[in-house]
Amino acid sequence: MTQNYEKLPQDAFTRIPRDTQEAEKISKPSVSFWQDAWRSLKKNKGAIISLILFGLILIMSFVGPMISPYEPNDQTITHANLPPKMPIIENLGIMDGVGTLGGREVDLYEMKNVEQNYWFGTDGLGRDMFSRVWKGTQVSLFIAFVAAAIDMLIGVIYGGISGYFGGRIDDVMQRIVEILTGIPNLVVVILFILIMDPGILAIIIALTITGWTGMSRVVRGQVLKYKSQEFVLAARTLGASDSRIIWKHLMPNVLGVIIINTMFTIPGAIFFEAFLSFIGLGLQAPDASLGTLINDGYKLIQYQPHILLFPAVVLSLIMIAFNLIGDGLRDALDPKMKD
Amino acid sequence: MARYIGKRLIYMFITLALIATFTFFLMKILPGSPIASADKLSPEQRAVVEARYGLDQPLPVQYFDYMFGLLKGDLGISINQFKGANVTDVILSRMGPSAQIGFQGMLLGTVLGILFGMVAALRQNTWVDYGSTIVAIIGISIPSFVFASMLQYWFGLKWDLFPVALWKDGFMSSVLPSIALAMFPLATAARFIRTEMIEVLGSDYITLAKAKGASGSEIAFKHAFRNALIPLITVLGPMAVSILTGSLVVEQIFAIPGIGEQFVKSIMVNDFSIIMGTTIFFSVFLIVVILIVDILYGVIDPRIRLSGGKN
Amino acid sequence: MKNSKILWLLGLVLVLSAFLAACGGGDDTDTGTENTETEETEGAEGAEGNGGEPDSVQELNLIEGAEIPSMDSSIAEDAVAFNILNNVNEGLFRLNEENIAEPALADGEPEISEDGLTYTFKLRDANWSDGTPVTANDFVFAWQRAIDPDTGSPYGPYMMAGTVKNAKEVSEGDMEVSELGIKAEDDKTLVVELERPTPYFMSLMAFGTFYPLNEEFVTEQGDKYASNSETILYNGPFTLTNWDGTGLTWTMEKNPEYWDAETVQLEKINVDVVKETSTAVNLYQSGEKDRVGLSGEFAMQYAEDPEVVKELEPTLFYLKFNQERNGEETPLANENIRKAIATGFNKQDLVDVVLANGSLPANYLVPTEFTFNEAGEDFRDINGDMLPFNAEEAKTYWEKGLEEIGETEVTLELLGGDSELAGKMDAYLKEQLETNLEGLTVNLKAVPFGVRLELDEAQDYDMQNSGWGPDFQDPMTFIDLFVTGASHNLMSYSNEEFDNLVEQAKGELAQDAEGRWEAMAQAEKILIEEDAAIAPIYQRGLMSLQKPYVNNIISHPFGGDYSYKWAYISGKE
Repeated sequence: MTQNYEKLPQDAFTRIPRDTQEAEKISKPSVSFWQDAWRSLKKNKGAIISLILFGLILIMSFVGPMISPYEPNDQTITHANLPPKMPIIENLGIMDGVGTLGGREVDLYEMKNVEQNYWFGTDGLGRDMFSRVWKGTQVSLFIAFVAAAIDMLIGVIYGGISGYFGGRIDDVMQRIVEILTGIPNLVVVILFILIMDPGILAIIIALTITGWTGMSRVVRGQVLKYKSQEFVLAARTLGASDSRIIWKHLMPNVLGVIIINTMFTIPGAIFFEAFLSFIGLGLQAPDASLGTLINDGYKLIQYQPHILLFPAVVLSLIMIAFNLIGDGLRDALDPKMKD
Repeated sequence: MARYIGKRLIYMFITLALIATFTFFLMKILPGSPIASADKLSPEQRAVVEARYGLDQPLPVQYFDYMFGLLKGDLGISINQFKGANVTDVILSRMGPSAQIGFQGMLLGTVLGILFGMVAALRQNTWVDYGSTIVAIIGISIPSFVFASMLQYWFGLKWDLFPVALWKDGFMSSVLPSIALAMFPLATAARFIRTEMIEVLGSDYITLAKAKGASGSEIAFKHAFRNALIPLITVLGPMAVSILTGSLVVEQIFAIPGIGEQFVKSIMVNDFSIIMGTTIFFSVFLIVVILIVDILYGVIDPRIRLSGGKN
Repeated sequence: MKNSKILWLLGLVLVLSAFLAACGGGDDTDTGTENTETEETEGAEGAEGNGGEPDSVQELNLIEGAEIPSMDSSIAEDAVAFNILNNVNEGLFRLNEENIAEPALADGEPEISEDGLTYTFKLRDANWSDGTPVTANDFVFAWQRAIDPDTGSPYGPYMMAGTVKNAKEVSEGDMEVSELGIKAEDDKTLVVELERPTPYFMSLMAFGTFYPLNEEFVTEQGDKYASNSETILYNGPFTLTNWDGTGLTWTMEKNPEYWDAETVQLEKINVDVVKETSTAVNLYQSGEKDRVGLSGEFAMQYAEDPEVVKELEPTLFYLKFNQERNGEETPLANENIRKAIATGFNKQDLVDVVLANGSLPANYLVPTEFTFNEAGEDFRDINGDMLPFNAEEAKTYWEKGLEEIGETEVTLELLGGDSELAGKMDAYLKEQLETNLEGLTVNLKAVPFGVRLELDEAQDYDMQNSGWGPDFQDPMTFIDLFVTGASHNLMSYSNEEFDNLVEQAKGELAQDAEGRWEAMAQAEKILIEEDAAIAPIYQRGLMSLQKPYVNNIISHPFGGDYSYKWAYISGKE
């Protein structure tokens, strides 16, 4: 081997210069945390479909009441309890205005001499279900988003302070949370709604009054985890103020968890609103939410399934979408889940 | 350990006392009067009735009376829901059915949920996975009252498999309500187990087990499952809450003489003693569940230090 | 006064006239009422079983909508308890199958003094369920207990004050209970003294609060009395069993000690509390329950069902107009504004579509088919309809009213119940009023019953959707609600002429049946037509499904809702 060394052609080799500049260069394009998360989220088919689906529902909740020729609260009492009827689709034998009355199948539109089409049918007061369902979706989403936002705000601040300062402050703050979680939220929510005048505001406040504890606990846990890590210590050594450490160093790390948690708070709030309608503490008539619509409909499932069907489907789709988006985000944001 | 539990018990009592205080004052600002036929009573009679339940006393006196009674285990007397009945008796007589369907629902939900979650994790990203995920999510995306009345209509009335409602046929009466209650634990457990299993399946010791030639089922059950199960305990708390909320709906729809069923009514009719009694009962249940979760967690996972929280 | 015999006669006349009307037509108003009568009975007969031979198993399965809050007849105040009391206990009189008060524990009609103030009842031989005899002293004890302020009975003073002698003073603690106008002359003779002549006194005697109580038993049980079915004594057609005091289930079993036990055919009635109508209907369909009340949407679905039974209740629903809220006059203090609202919503559509349960649109205060005079004429026929729906007139009133109060827009709050039906109805009223009366905004406020009472008492509302069912069989149970300062008025309505008429009917005209009716009718006219102090909405109908093998459940206009004494099962097997 050694003797052949001399025979190798000299020009077969080039010398690699030691360039310190080059060594530092990152060959892959630089991706931020969010770009990275988005990339892995994109790979999750369920989450993407859910995102699109939710987008559609959101758009419909605003556009729906507008494209319907009827106002959500307008009553045409002679058109009460009509089954759904939609042009084109009616040829398929569904949504053709045929309903049961006293056990027989009849075209109720013909019977009642109704010229118009009600796409989702009408309710017991002759209100258009199509515009009511979308208006209700709008209201439910509004309640859920506002409640989730408030939960997030209070939860993050509370959990952040509790976790960051620790010690006695943490102790006291955690005891308070413990008390709040010890009272069944059911009790608190019902009592609060009754104390305030019933309505959207009352429902939102009642939902958030104990709702934020979940978020605060998650945030506290994360802050506890990160605050003892080296980068925080480094920042502190460099003289960073508490608020700078919290906002610049801790929050970006905790953000993922906060978002995931919010994704699960929103469907929870929508669901709880439906439950409140069941016990008669939902929105005030004549306003509609998905909860009140479902509550009106479930009893009539044997006779007028359409009153339940449409709001229930929208509700389920929202629930499924948020849960899948939440799952997807968790997978995307959690470094442990990287493949 | 004993010291830890002792400390927790003391905290528990303090927490309970504070909860009772909180609820007491919250309830006192509730609008409405607990005296149902207030419009039929003359002022004199009203005074008599109020005096009987101590409602004429200044608020602080009422409060201390109540707390003192509570210490002795006296929950007071129902004002108008079950006039004159001892609240403890009301709770005791209503507890059985609630406990039964609650326990059955939780058991069924968790077992099925674990099964769903495991299958989903082992067949990750196949139609089995998506299927079971969707079933699990549908479980929590249909409100329990809709689900319960559907069960009642199909399984009770149409197919005549179980009693439509009422609490008369022992275990058979409890089947449909338990299924209705099981949906939330099922969904929660399924999703939780799936996530945990996937994580555990990707860890080094599973790879090692595989390398050593352990069979698929051995890995799934012996190694992955056991480790995935531990974190499930943490969601027992939220599950317990869901059972409470659910019981209220399910008991009403199936006409079961449970404790949740009468609770909303007691609030609507301002029966202070019943509201307080039931709230305290619910709270004790919740706090005990949380305590058990914490203790179990410490016992099962030695990495968690029971001395807890402080760093 | 042989009140009940007259009523008997009246019933006969009614039935006869129904036939006559069916044959010959008769005049318009008559056919109107009679037609409904006949329809009702036909409907009831159609559904009410085959009327054949009773089966060997006499068991009835029923549903209640709520628990029993208390079975103590002095404390009871809700429909469920009064209904059970009516079937497990008995007073001096009982409403019979024709809803006429007939002697029950009283042995025949009482002896009434010339001035109509003293009633002497002879008691028949009857036993408590433990075999001890029912005595006059049992009545004295029960009545005294009900009026004693220490008992805190809601109905005792309410029913007795102003009727039974010294009741008001005793209830206010100014007299001893022994001074109440009731004495036991001996074991079988009871003497009742009244404050003033009360033409409807006999129908009061069928009410639960006036039932006897066995002193020895009640005292012995103390706090435990009526805490469950074991700690009550019964003297009615049935005894209550298997009731633990807080449960959702109880049974009633035939009482062998009942004096008229041979009339009672049912052996057992199983009752379960079911709060969800959909569940109740499912139980009915599965055959577990024999009768179920239908509300809201269910009524519409089953309207054509052959098993439907319709009843018209003498319960009236109306809008209360509060004229003064928090010390300030509301727009409703203006008569034209009130009239505009009273005539501004379509009642026929409301009962046909929203309620759809056989309710009638009401343009009156005293319900139809509730009270009749000696000639058998309905009180309703005197005034007929007042201020019916008329969108045009409403508009005129409204514009006039707005001008008078100097506003162009008015916002009013409508306080209502929190039930689903109430919510739906209020939503309908809002829509109707806002459409028909330009510039009106109605805000709905639905609250639980207890809260509504409190707001009512504080007079903290603009309009309120309220209802009233009778406590005894006389127009007065509705009319005196609205005299100045009455505990139900609470809307600052005051009209001297109205007050005077009511006072006359209660006082100087008490013995003059005709004049009394005239005065009450006059008062009703002032209240509804001239002042529009309230706006009647509808008279409630009740629709139930009942299995064809169930026969003869009798429904009552006041007191307990139903009697099962005459009910029987036929053709179930």
